[in-house]
Order: sequence, then structure tokens, then C-alpha cells
Amino acid sequence: MPKLYLTFLIVTACSFLHATTIDVRLVIKPGLLTLSNGGTVEVITYNNTDSFSENSALLVWELGDVVNLKIVNNDTQNHGFNADGLTSFGIIPAGDSVIQTINLSNAGVFRYNDNVNPPFNSYLGLSGIIHIKDPSDTTPYFYWDIREIQSNWNPILYGSGIVNLTDYDPDFFTINGNHNPNINLDPIAKVIGNVGVEFKIVLVNNGLSIHSMHFHGYHLLSAADSKHPAFVGREKDTFPLYPHEHLILSCTPDKPGEYPVHDHNLVAVTGGQEYATGMFLTLLIAP
Amino acid sequence: MIKLTLSVLLVLISLDCLTQIDYSKLIIGRNTGTKTLHDGNVTKIFGFTETLNEVTDTPGPTIRVTEGDTIQIEFWNVSQGAPHTIHLHGLDVNQENDGVPHLSFVVNHMDHGYYKFKAPHPGTYIYHCHVVSTIHVQAGMYGVIIVEPSNGQNNTTWVGGESFDRDILLTASEIDTNWHTDAVLDHEHDPVNPIPVFVPENYTPQYFLVNGLSETQLADPLNHSTVGVNEDVFMRLVNIGYYGVRYIFPNSVNARTISSDGRPLPQAYINDTIEVLPGERYGTLIQTGTADFYDVEIEYFNMNTQLIESSQAVTLRTSLASINNLELNLTVYPNPSEDGVFYTEKAFTENYTIYAIDGGLVLKSSEQRIDLSKHKPGIYTMHYQGSVIKLCAQ
Repeated sequence: MPKLYLTFLIVTACSFLHATTIDVRLVIKPGLLTLSNGGTVEVITYNNTDSFSENSALLVWELGDVVNLKIVNNDTQNHGFNADGLTSFGIIPAGDSVIQTINLSNAGVFRYNDNVNPPFNSYLGLSGIIHIKDPSDTTPYFYWDIREIQSNWNPILYGSGIVNLTDYDPDFFTINGNHNPNINLDPIAKVIGNVGVEFKIVLVNNGLSIHSMHFHGYHLLSAADSKHPAFVGREKDTFPLYPHEHLILSCTPDKPGEYPVHDHNLVAVTGGQEYATGMFLTLLIAP
Repeated sequence: MIKLTLSVLLVLISLDCLTQIDYSKLIIGRNTGTKTLHDGNVTKIFGFTETLNEVTDTPGPTIRVTEGDTIQIEFWNVSQGAPHTIHLHGLDVNQENDGVPHLSFVVNHMDHGYYKFKAPHPGTYIYHCHVVSTIHVQAGMYGVIIVEPSNGQNNTTWVGGESFDRDILLTASEIDTNWHTDAVLDHEHDPVNPIPVFVPENYTPQYFLVNGLSETQLADPLNHSTVGVNEDVFMRLVNIGYYGVRYIFPNSVNARTISSDGRPLPQAYINDTIEVLPGERYGTLIQTGTADFYDVEIEYFNMNTQLIESSQAVTLRTSLASINNLELNLTVYPNPSEDGVFYTEKAFTENYTIYAIDGGLVLKSSEQRIDLSKHKPGIYTMHYQGSVIKLCAQ
């Protein structure tokens, strides 16, 4: 049973001049993530309900809206909530909650994360994607939360143990928490489009590794690049995606077909020493 | 009636254009190759060749085609094991010709497969097998396709682009010999249904390659690339390995990067260091002067830790720097040197020169004791009568 990447998608019909106030509640909870080999590892996530989800919530808001964001820490450790350029909550003690009001005055993609114990709480799952959309932007968007897992690290880090970043050697590679072939069953990730119709993909690297995302079938246009803003406008088939950075890529397909996308560090196409249960999915383009 | 006949004729001409092959190339897939590494070790490889008699090596043959032409690659799989394919990386071919087994087709042992595509954009591309690609690419089944502009001037980057005197291809990759064992390479396969294939637990390459060579192989003058004095050289920088690489040029050559992945960059950028991640390609123009040698350093960094794990040096030799004597027996020890001091038993009849990796002259001497202890640790190159030795000061 594939995991469905839970979304917290709020779409309003209001214009910038008619701001809507939205109440959003995220609950920090620990739980288990199922890996491609059927094993599980400890993770902690921001959930948009009181139930544990294997992935932190995707937050899609509209430019001009006002968000009353409440973070509830239901873990036994202190955590935080930070989105550079948007908001920072400071420490949220275990068992406590904090509310902040955020005015959505800038469109764009923001990576949110727990800024306590960096980068490990973020690695454990306390990180995700915020997309503030301009209401005039009607392009279909798809969202890829890219991360890798070194399975023997999670129990250590969850138990407040220490690991050495210079030993990092992940063995599982996921998009929205899913592995191939299940990534293709996630409607948030799986691009289904038509020839001549533009779509955009938001890629956020919430892992610790660099990824080199290769697209079959098409060159895509870089519409946003948090690491190298000067690279916007480049048309490429392979895009570097650095840890804790994001890209927005645009594509208007010129032909139909089903075309893979994968990390060209081909080790990342594997999962638990098995090919091809890693970071691999397809674009499905109809005529 | 005349209009109808004309229309039918135009349609027929159009269909004929689509089926017309402007350039056809035979590529053979082999799984019985061996590769001698710089330390003398020999490892088993897969690869591509142009003829059956050819020694299988990696990278495979470089294929040069012309922009706008309709290309056919006839792929003949002459191997006893798993099927293979050719994926035309970056050429944006249609699904049928994309070379991904479950979305296109595979070519079984002794079968032929035909890949057809148009080459609409001049630039540098890769071809590689996409069957259990993590294993087959590491095994060596990759090469480069260069699309040259349609204006008949091969020494321009694209129609209306920049001209150059010559182009040089540098393809980075690695070899982890633990991935080249029979147990890994002779993996299970099903000609109809994809099945899971197990890969080794870690990828920890021992050999870091440029154009299939490393260390002393690259230092061998026979493997140097030739450039001219005061030339514009178009460097085609490719990475088909699983590590990130940085190509680092000497300051003096004014490296200017103008294209990537077969497309011009919106803005060229001037930087001595060009980072190329797995699957990427960059086009960088450099200008040679009158120096005998230009050394390009290539750093290999782990994509997970971002630590640099190897550094290789490629020498561009100007045509003025003739190879006087390839049997100089120029041996330097210890190398690497922990204190930056090296010795040689050779008595020099003229000065040798030592350059830092950025091209700066560090030492000019004829002493048999080579003291680099006052310079920062790193890679240096020693040049003497046409021979080049890489020195590693730790």
C-alpha cells in the first residue's frame, strides 16, 4: 500500500486585496517510517492532524493571506519551527505549543525545519515545504520533498545519540517519503501533463546529501534556485540540488510519453542495496 | 486535382524526410572487457566498442554527429549476460528511443536494436546503458555524443556562437573494484520483467578517472592533450561518475563557461572552478598562452559528506613542448611526501620546473633535493624535458 503524501492545501479564491486569514495547526509527533525493504526507522514529523504521518505536511498558501500558525509539540524533546525569510518560532518546549501570525507578503518556496539540534532534527523528518503561490499563477505544481536516510542513524539520533557527518553513507533515497515504484502513486509527486501545457515542479532537498536530478525526455527551465539565484533561466536536463536548498523547474512538454526522472548519482536509485527502489519516478505526458 | 496531387506529394516528401537516415553508427555492447588501472591492478569491465576486434575500454567511442541530422545508432549486444540498452542522455529523444528497459526496449544477447533521433542542439551529451544502470554504468557502459553545429564549421560552439581552435573532452568517472566482481556484474536478469537486483553495500571507489585514466596514467606524456600556443580551446567537461567533480583551471587561461547540457547559458560566467555533478556537462572556453604546459586539476567529492576524496591532474601540452625523451626514468620519492621534501636519483643537466595546481611557478632548480616544505600542501607538477610527474605534498 503506497503511502499517500499528506497535504495541507489551502486554496482560496481571494485576491491579494481581499486577504483571508487561515488557522493552521501542526503537531510534532514521533513515529515510524516504512522503508523500501519493509523495515522501519524512527522519524519525527510535523503533522496537520493529531495522527502521525510519515512525512511532514506540505503547506501551500496564497500570497496576501494571513496565517495563524500553531505548532504543538507532542514529542518528549524540545523542538522549533523555522522558515528562513518567513518565520521563526524559537524553542517550543516538549508538551507545549506556540502560535504566530504570518503575513504572506512574498510569493515563493520556503523550506521549513526544526532549527534545534541542526541538522539532525531536520534530517529525522522535522522539515518540509511551504509554497506561497501568487493567485495569478495557474500553473499546475508538483512537489518533491527529497531526502535520504542512513537507516542505522535514525535510532541513534532519535535516542539523542551522536553521529559523525563525515561518516554519512545513506542507504535509502526517497521523494515525499516514498521509494520507486510507489513514488509514482503519489499524486503530489507524479507529474501527469499534456503536450503544450506548462507545469512546474518544486524540489526541496531536506536531506544531507547533494542530489543531481536528471530528466529524460525534456530540458527544463530553472525558474528559482535558492543556492544559485544567478542560475535562473538555465535550460538543462540535469540539475544540482544542494542540501537544504530548493529549485522550481518549469516544463512545457513538446511530445507525449512516459519519461523517467532520477538522481544521476546512481547509488541513489537503489534502496537497501536493491536496484531500483530508490529515487526514481516518471513524467507521464499525454498528447 | 492538381492541389490534391501536390498535397499528397508534400506528405510523401515529408514522410521520406522523417525516415531518411543522415548518419548511422554501429555500437557493440560487450561484457568481457578488462581494464588495467594505474597501479597495475586489472579489473573486469563492461563497455561499448565500434568493432568486434576492438579492445573493450571505458569510456566507449566518442560519437560526433551534426545538428539537425537524423541519426540511427545500431546497437548490437554481443555479451552473454543481461540485456543492455543505450540511453541517449540529454538528447530528449522520444520514449521509444529512450533506452529505459520497462518504457522502451532491451537488446538481448546477439540481438540488434535501433535508436533513431534528431540532434537539434549542438553540445555535449552522454550515452549509457540503462539496464540496472547503477551497476552497468559503474561497469563502464558509457560514452559521449558530441553534436556539432549545422553550419559546417565544426569549430564553433553553435551557429552564431563562439569559435575555437580545438575542443578537448574530459570525462570524469570512478571505479570501485568491489562493484566489478562476477557476483555483482553477473546479476540475475529476466528478459521480460524487471526484477530487483542487489548492489554492494557501499560505494567507495579506489580509482578516480579522467577519460578512463588516473594518476601516473594521466601523467604519462603520451596521454597529455595537445593544445596550440595562443589558442582558444573549448573544454567539454563531463561527469558520468557517482561523485561530484570540480574542474579547476589555471588562472592564466581565463576559463569562461558558456554552455551546459547542450544549451547556451543565459549568461556566461568567468570562474577557474567548474563544478560538474553526476550526469551534467559544461562547455568552457580557455585561452592558452605560450607556456609549455597547463595543468587542470580535478577534485572528486563525495555527494554525501561533500569531502574531497581524490584529486587528479590533466596536462594540456602546447605543441611547442615536444617530448624529447620518454625514457627519462624520472623517479621521485617519497611521493606523497609528508614534509614536502622529495628526492630524485637523476642528475639534471638543466633546470626542472615545478608548478602549483593553479599554474603558478613554484620552483625552478636542478637540485636533486626538491623542497616544497614552505609551500602549502597539495598537488604539484614537476616538468623536465617533456616529462611530467605529479608530486603530492601532504
